[in-house]
Amino acid sequence: MTETTPLSHYVRSSRLDYQLRYELLGKALLRVQRWRDQRKLAGLRPREDSVLNPPLRCVAYMKEMMSRHYLEGRYANGVRKVAWVTSGAPAELLKALDFFLIYPENHAALCGVRRKAESLCEEAEHDGYSRDICSYGRTDIGAMLSGKTPAGRLPRPDLLLCCTNICQTVLYWYRVLAAHFGCPLILIDTPFLYHEAEAHQVAYVQRQLEEMVSVAEQVAGRSFSERSFMQVVDHSRRASELWLEVLNRSRHRPAPMTAFDGFIHMGPIVDMRGDPETTDYYERMLDELDERIRNGVGAIKEERYRVLWDNLPIWYKIGDFSKWLGGHGVNVVASTYTYAWGELSPMIDPSKPFESMARVYLHPILNRSTGHKLSSMQRMVDEFHLDGVILHSDRSCKPYSLGQIDQRDHLVQEMGIPALLLEADHNDPRAYAEEQSTQRLEAFIEMMEARA
Amino acid sequence: MPIADRLTARKAIIERVRGLGRKVVAVLPFHYPRALLRAYRLHPIEVWGPPNVPRDKGSQHFQAYTCDIVLKATSFLLRGGMDPVDAILVPHTCDALQGMASVTADFLKPRQPVLTLYLPRGCRDSDRAFLIAELRRLAGCCAEISGHKPNEADWAEAFAAEEAADRALASLYQRRPRLALSDRDFYTAVRSREFLTAEDFGELAASLPEGDPPADGVGLMLSGIVAEPLELFDRINEMGAHVVADDLACGYRRVYPPAAESDPFARIAAQLLACPPDPTRGSPIEQRVAALRSRMRESGAQGLLIYDVKFCEPELFDIPLLRKHLAAAGLPVLHVEFEMGMTVSRQVLTRIEAFVETLQ
Ligand code: SF4
Ligand code: SF4
Repeated sequence: MTETTPLSHYVRSSRLDYQLRYELLGKALLRVQRWRDQRKLAGLRPREDSVLNPPLRCVAYMKEMMSRHYLEGRYANGVRKVAWVTSGAPAELLKALDFFLIYPENHAALCGVRRKAESLCEEAEHDGYSRDICSYGRTDIGAMLSGKTPAGRLPRPDLLLCCTNICQTVLYWYRVLAAHFGCPLILIDTPFLYHEAEAHQVAYVQRQLEEMVSVAEQVAGRSFSERSFMQVVDHSRRASELWLEVLNRSRHRPAPMTAFDGFIHMGPIVDMRGDPETTDYYERMLDELDERIRNGVGAIKEERYRVLWDNLPIWYKIGDFSKWLGGHGVNVVASTYTYAWGELSPMIDPSKPFESMARVYLHPILNRSTGHKLSSMQRMVDEFHLDGVILHSDRSCKPYSLGQIDQRDHLVQEMGIPALLLEADHNDPRAYAEEQSTQRLEAFIEMMEARA
Repeated sequence: MPIADRLTARKAIIERVRGLGRKVVAVLPFHYPRALLRAYRLHPIEVWGPPNVPRDKGSQHFQAYTCDIVLKATSFLLRGGMDPVDAILVPHTCDALQGMASVTADFLKPRQPVLTLYLPRGCRDSDRAFLIAELRRLAGCCAEISGHKPNEADWAEAFAAEEAADRALASLYQRRPRLALSDRDFYTAVRSREFLTAEDFGELAASLPEGDPPADGVGLMLSGIVAEPLELFDRINEMGAHVVADDLACGYRRVYPPAAESDPFARIAAQLLACPPDPTRGSPIEQRVAALRSRMRESGAQGLLIYDVKFCEPELFDIPLLRKHLAAAGLPVLHVEFEMGMTVSRQVLTRIEAFVETLQ
């Protein structure tokens, strides 16, 4: 039972196409585009009429990296083996086997930022997928069924890798993908940690990681090398450490970047961790943040209130939120979401790649208890000197959202800071009410003012 | 006499099992190790809502986009409905129950311990090994609650009783076409396994009369988590249809095949992992389609009614593919969602009625 739709929009490329259109022309054009972007960004001066300081210059590199990634994807089928993987999956193992990786969640977020998600969700809904399921899932299923994507074209997967450390939703979603594409699905099941991880939980994940090697080898048509795996793990560790440092730079006042910047700049750590260029990128970013700190330049011009964002971003509103909040002197300096890709870096040990990866992939914040998430938020409030917390109550992401009502109450009662539950959805704009949200945000800012 | 009138009330059962030296555990949906609880001198009473409890207190802790099972069970807990029990067991069925278990343990902090059980989503050797270890961990928690550690005889007794009840449930489904029971009575009997002791359930199942089944007309198969309220069955019968088979979490999805392993934990793991295809356990859609198709053919079901609790994500993802593949096999599908209450909404009934008409 495979291929309920023709999926004719997935095409195989020849090696010549790949070399010509991607390696030669594509890369060169993107490099030229990056030079142009760099020149433009270097010439930007703070504008009188803007509440934000100019964007980070390194964004030109990030744009180039992400565009190159999706461009390679267009020509990957027939040249490289392709795997679609969940954002929290142990991608290092597949990288060591030279798979080209697509992260459907990241692709869905891209659709959200480009405001294409709603129409793609509708494509999925038209095919019978309920409006109540995760809007990332709907966006990607809509793209899969229609072939429409702002990325041009996605490569068809030879392998699916699903890790349940963010939610069970991804398994239902990947079962749908497996039925459509008729390719193998590797499941890495990660027991939810209500308390500290126990030995049998770590052993279970480790065993699954070890067992996935032979399936991945078969699809890849090559043998797994523990040496390359250790190298990838090492790059991954270094990139995660750097990402954590990047995020922690916002402890400075004024913060040199916003969490909204973080949402955009997390592309490489999600999609390309394990690649040496990701490490280079975050080194570059860190240098620029340090330069900003030395010069006392903040991401917003007048930082009066510092706020934590909980849960996924509202992708279609990132720009608007950043400006609107910045205009009210609010800098969202940290988020529990972006932290998820950095905070586990100390657990990564390239000398024990399987065991340490088992621990890492068991411990994302989404796989831990609601009480642990509250403690993380409380710690961040202290460390980042925060004045308030915005908890995005995300209609179609239940694992992240359930527990927020109590978390908010505890933040207010125990820390005495304003905390707002903001109803929306990460990718479906139909679940967002502009007027109501603005009113609630205004009231939230008033509460911070009253406390100041 | 309606089956419901023959059943002992939960309160009386709690008193009776306490008299037998057992403690009582409230269990949320839906796969869990009955024999293990019994060996550790614990008796499960399941909580599926309940439908008659208002959402109010649950809504103070969970958003409106949470399913009714979680909202109502939380209300039930906060209204004192679980006061008589000694522990609460929340199996990891879905993200919503994960949230409920975590919020309950971390923030609501009831007097009773909150136990959890992670059910692996595969059936590989690694899943089996993990589940065995997870059951051993749960057993440790059970021993703390009851103060009892089972010996060989306790395990033998527990398996004998619970496996007999499992066989009784399986045989109820086999005998369904011959049972002189309305759909409501049949499902009242099936669901009495949620609170009766294994012996009482076995006795009830054996006593059900055979003869001409009262229902006639269009045969439906019912799929979903739970068919509430029971009035649904009466309304379906009034439409000229009857339920000939189900794929319900509170029904057939818990017909576990027997297992022969000598180690008690391995035996329980084998049974749980061999349950019929089930989206909450991440079963491949192909397996579900094949199982539904063959059971619909065997039972003479003419259509599949998917009756889902609103906001139940595990059930929702499979629907388009189930619909396509079953329709291709000449088996129409209707999907309706409901909010759990004491009556079935007019809108839901109208849609079911229209579906039945197309099948007639
Ligand atoms: S948005 Fe939430 S539900 Fe959707 S894939 Fe991510 S974690 Fe899972
Ligand atoms: S109704 Fe669905 S979402 Fe709710 S507890 Fe049951 S399986 Fe989970």
